[in-house]
Amino acid sequence: MFKSLIEKNEKRSQLSMMAQYLNTCFMISTIEHEYLVNIEKGVVKNVEEGPFVMPSYVFKLTAPKNEWIKFLQHTPQPGSHDIIAMLRRKVLKFEGDLHPLMSHLLYFKLLLASLRPAESKNEN
Amino acid sequence: MKIEKEPISGQYGKFKIDGIDYRIYWEEAGQGIPLVCLHTAGSDGRQYRALLNDKKILEKFRVIVFDMPWHGKSSPPENAQIQNYKLSTDFYISQIMSFINGLELLKPVVMGCSIGGRIILHLAINFPDKFRALIGLQSAGHLDPYYDISWLHRQDVHGGEVCGGIAYGLMAPTSPESDKFETMWHYMQGGPGIFKGDLFFYKFDGNIGNEIKKIDNSKCPIYLLTGEYDYSATPEETKSLADTIGIEMIKMKNVGHFPMSENPKEFLKYLHPVLNKIS
Repeated sequence: MFKSLIEKNEKRSQLSMMAQYLNTCFMISTIEHEYLVNIEKGVVKNVEEGPFVMPSYVFKLTAPKNEWIKFLQHTPQPGSHDIIAMLRRKVLKFEGDLHPLMSHLLYFKLLLASLRPAESKNEN
Repeated sequence: MKIEKEPISGQYGKFKIDGIDYRIYWEEAGQGIPLVCLHTAGSDGRQYRALLNDKKILEKFRVIVFDMPWHGKSSPPENAQIQNYKLSTDFYISQIMSFINGLELLKPVVMGCSIGGRIILHLAINFPDKFRALIGLQSAGHLDPYYDISWLHRQDVHGGEVCGGIAYGLMAPTSPESDKFETMWHYMQGGPGIFKGDLFFYKFDGNIGNEIKKIDNSKCPIYLLTGEYDYSATPEETKSLADTIGIEMIKMKNVGHFPMSENPKEFLKYLHPVLNKIS
């Protein structure tokens, strides 16, 4: 689900500039599946899919898979269009050292939104 | 080279607010019924640029937008210190009334968004006879904190970046990117701790409980409009507020928390009929 964060790197050169001093490793969890995302100088260098025995990461974003699917629609519905909106609905949890996330909030929002399809499909 | 001039003029003036002098900046355009517009927390009056340029509105209304003290081009008071800014309900009411009295506006319409959408409820409770009508954009009676606002003012996090990041998500994915960017840009230009200081009013001091029941719509008509993508003041919360007051709310499609600046074209479709009723 989040492996393609790597493939989209080339289209995100502007975005990487927004986080050119950021080096971090964070986890995205769909509860059933976990993804460790490694970022160096604002570029996604590696996405590893679990299961993990002893994963090491700085912060973690956890939401059920169906909520991530709603977030990743071309035009998400209200309440699913932003990670803080999901936090407000209590379907997404932020955990760990949130400094890298909050100091690069727009970057992370746009990074995750970059997985949305460019064209609108039947989203029902 | 010919430039495209806008009908907006800006001015500075000194206003006494709670006994202290403040240098306030405001912009205005049009003539007729005074329509005072209140910007959102951590931003400034530029949010209303579309209204200040809307020929249809300017035919009947004198649109006036001031930057709150500490915001935009309005200065902090003399001898102010960073860290000390916290917007209280009383101070917010005082600055609005000082501005209206200072400009000698008789029975203006006041329209506010977000914190402005909250303060118009306080105005409706306390001074219903002073206004021709009140318009609340993204109004809710109260808001429980849903994220840690201390992130908005820390020396190890760039305030402009984080405030912009917060504001960006409050807008609809369907709003034009150029308008969203400008709306976010205003947030990126706020002073340190100002957005957070405004949220003290929005999430704590300005919360209204049962007092909402004191609002009498027959004394001063109230109109409530909320964008469907707003998760700060949700359409459901505005609906609950409207039900308590006994009025209808208008849910605006394809906009979020900043209708007037993130998608003015869409917003004006909803605002024109409201202003027609008022005029």
